[in-house]
Amino acid sequence: MTSQGRIDVAPADWEQVVSGLQREGFVLFDFITAVDRGARLEVVARVINPATRVPVMVWTTLPADAAELSSLSGIYLGATWCEREAAEMFGVRFIGLGDSRPLLLRASLGEPPMRKSSALVARAIRDWPGAAQSTDDGRQGANPSRRRQLPPGVPEGFLRDNPLDSDVSGDVR
Amino acid sequence: MIPAEAHGTIALRASACTSCMICVRECPTWCIELDSHTEQVSDPGARRPKTVNVLDAFRIDFGLCMYCGICVDLCPFDALAWSPEHDHAATTAAGLVQGITELQTAWPPTGPPTDN
Repeated sequence: MTSQGRIDVAPADWEQVVSGLQREGFVLFDFITAVDRGARLEVVARVINPATRVPVMVWTTLPADAAELSSLSGIYLGATWCEREAAEMFGVRFIGLGDSRPLLLRASLGEPPMRKSSALVARAIRDWPGAAQSTDDGRQGANPSRRRQLPPGVPEGFLRDNPLDSDVSGDVR
Repeated sequence: MIPAEAHGTIALRASACTSCMICVRECPTWCIELDSHTEQVSDPGARRPKTVNVLDAFRIDFGLCMYCGICVDLCPFDALAWSPEHDHAATTAAGLVQGITELQTAWPPTGPPTDN
């Protein structure tokens, strides 16, 4: 079952599988975090058997727009911190998590910053050095129809949908 | 002792740069700026003149650079390389911006030792 050190479970079995691992001797909780795959959000927990020093990573996949998962804080009390962090960074809602206060960020921050859909505002308001067009496109002469490139981390239309005060960029520069 | 393969600074060989902009776009801290223009060059015997890029300016702001080396890794023409030079001290933030002249003084880089 754990030959590769990896177990993939359905979200409904999440708590039960980890609870079973704990009974098998995986009593040391390492971390919980998430990976943004676009439409899917993968959540991973790592637990260790201190007697054999064998680690296991348990993975599950959630829909990104309805990321809900049972909390492991009832199994490992230390999971509370990691789940609070994953909740505020990735927008995962942990059902049964007793302490749901933000751990590191302001509650008013809005979109979870570790989601790829979260815009990097500091990049949106600064001129991107890479926006200058390379002329090394193998064609003769200028090509004005070429689409302007956006920097990574700034979604298309972000500035149009979120007009920024002109004095904001003055502060950042 | 600073080893020869030390990542002290990033050196530029302007003659190898084709102004392709890959380093500028991939830099995570946006510390590279590049200006270029195109010129028509007629080779003897060629049917048409060819367009070549001419590098006008290349600047690295070492106040922003985090020495990740992504630009060195990605440069398709080996125009950027690690150099053990490390004299970046300046009295103003603007003094940390180095242009073609400064970046070329670190070339040729000693480079990492080879295995064989």
